[in-house]
This record gives sequence, C-alpha cells and structure tokens, in this order.
Amino acid sequence: MAMLIIIDQPPYGGWTGREALDMAFSLAAFDQPVSLLFIGAGVNWLRTGQNTSGIEQKSVEKNLAAAPVFGIEDILADRISCERYGIAPPELADSVVLTDANAELLAQYSQAAFAG
Amino acid sequence: MNNLDPHSFTLVITGAPYSTQAPQTALSFAKAAIAAGHAIDRVFLYGDGIHLASALVTPPSDEPHWPKNWATFLEEHEVPGVACIASALRRGLVDDKEQKRYELDASNLRAPFTIAGLGEWVEGNIKSSRTLYFHGDR
Amino acid sequence: MNELHTLHILNKTPDHPRFGECLGMLGPDDAIVLIENGVLGLAAAEGFHSARVYALRDDVAARGLSGSTQATSLVDYSEWVGLTLQAERVISW
Repeated sequence: MAMLIIIDQPPYGGWTGREALDMAFSLAAFDQPVSLLFIGAGVNWLRTGQNTSGIEQKSVEKNLAAAPVFGIEDILADRISCERYGIAPPELADSVVLTDANAELLAQYSQAAFAG
Repeated sequence: MNNLDPHSFTLVITGAPYSTQAPQTALSFAKAAIAAGHAIDRVFLYGDGIHLASALVTPPSDEPHWPKNWATFLEEHEVPGVACIASALRRGLVDDKEQKRYELDASNLRAPFTIAGLGEWVEGNIKSSRTLYFHGDR
Repeated sequence: MNELHTLHILNKTPDHPRFGECLGMLGPDDAIVLIENGVLGLAAAEGFHSARVYALRDDVAARGLSGSTQATSLVDYSEWVGLTLQAERVISW
C-alpha cells in the first residue's frame, strides 16, 4: 500500500509544502508508491495562472506538473477545501482528482505524513 | 502487530528546539521505546528540525540542552542521527565536507549527527515497523 | 482491546486548522493521542466523535489540565509507544 503525503499549507508564504513535495519525489525515485493530498489552504497549490516572477520563487504549478512524470500516483484535492477557496473543477489540471478527505480515504494508504 | 515483540522506529523531527516542543517529545518517546525493548532505527531531521544538529546552539545554563541531550542519547544507543542535506544547507547547517565544497568559513554540525539526503528517510521508512513524525505547533 | 485502525497524534491547539482536519478524517475505529498543545482540546471541551481519546500525562499536567480529563485516558510515553504499535497506521498532525 502507498504513502499519502498531505499538504495543507499554501505555497510561497512558507516552505513546508515544497518540502512535502520533495518527500513525495524521493519516495517515487526509490520506487515507493506515493500520492499527494491537498487539503485546507493547501489547495491553493492547484490554482492555475500563478505568476511568481515578482517574488523570486519558482512556480509550484510547474513543480507539480512534473509529479506524474516522476511517478507520483495520484494528486488528490479535498472537494470542500477547493469550494472554500473558489477553485472550481475546470480550473484543476487533468491529473488532479477531487476527493473527500475522510477516514475512508486514509484507510486506502498504509502511511500518511505531513512535512512539518 | 503485537506490541510486546521488539520493533523498530524511525523518528522524523521537523520542529526546531526552543521554537517547538518536538525535539523533547521525540526524545521522551525514543527513551520509552528503548526501555520497552524496541529499537530506534534512525532519527531523521527535516525542515526546521535540522537546528537540533547545530553545534552552536547555546541555551542558558539553567535550561535543558536539547542538541546535547539528543547527541548523548544517539551515542549511548548507537542510533544514527541524520539531518536532511537540502533542509540543512538552506538553513545554514554544514559539515566539513559541505564547508569545503561551498568554500564556507566554518562548519557547525554537532557529532554524532551526519548530513545526507532524503533517501535516508525513505530507507528508514521501509526498514522500520513504524515511522513517527514530530512536528512543530504552527 | 478493540481494533485500532488509525492512531492520530495531535499536537495543535483547537484553533489550528489541522485540529479540524484531524477531526474530519477520524474514523469510528480510530484513536487520538493529544500531545503538547493538542491537550488544550480538553480545556476547550472539543467533541471527538466516537474516537477513543488519550492524552499525554506530562503535557496535561504541565498545562494545569489534570482536572479536565473525565472521558480521557491519560497515558505516559511508554503507553503511547504501545499504542503506535497496536494501530494499523499512525498519523502525526
């Protein structure tokens, strides 16, 4: 069974989300099954049209686009959190699957972890 | 899983000493696990948790010295303590090797901690019965 | 001892978003261990649905909450270690 890496912090204002993504990429690099779950303010990673040129940070939109290529199995987004932050399904990349973050979801993974 | 059989734990600390309670909670957990006959496979410091491996941390003399206390525990029980290299370099924690590589003025890694990649975490995660995370409170 | 699916280790105050996220992913066969600032959930009389609730004795005592623990089992570090091994999975919030 796979590991679920959970990101509940928005990009740019903190580094925890990036460090969570690094964990997921590392697992995938060692052929360990891993999926990502965005929940709470973390769903702001998934918004399209992020232009980071003014804050001198790499766009996480691009980082995340590479996730399926690097072998990350599923990119999940909590439905209620997306509604809360006004992220409608058409805006989500094809690789993102809307889900309900609950006990049944957690039960599908052998482990779940935050980066901080 | 029978909790009376010996098991092994990988502990991941992501909260910094003196900013969070994470290193001290983790140390109490580690001591209890050893006392119950289990093993600590390794301790992995990630994110702000890497500050625990700094040789320069200097708390007032009437406060517990968490980096020193952790170093003593690791030596006594021969547990590897590894700080994530990406987290460490960004936050100014370097060993002699990285000091030379980046031509820095000093190194500040406390023995017996070492610096290595996230692969150490992945390996601990595969080998251990349980991987536990000790986060900050923010 | 009943089956223990997920052991949730919660160290955040009830005002932290992760406290609510944890409650949202809590199943009927799960248990919570409140540690560090998480034990303030006892003072705020948070409802934990039907999950079994444990709290780390030292953290409860440190925050002056030893009198607010009616439905809560206080555990020491050694009992907490045992709980992590009983559970199918452990998540630190």
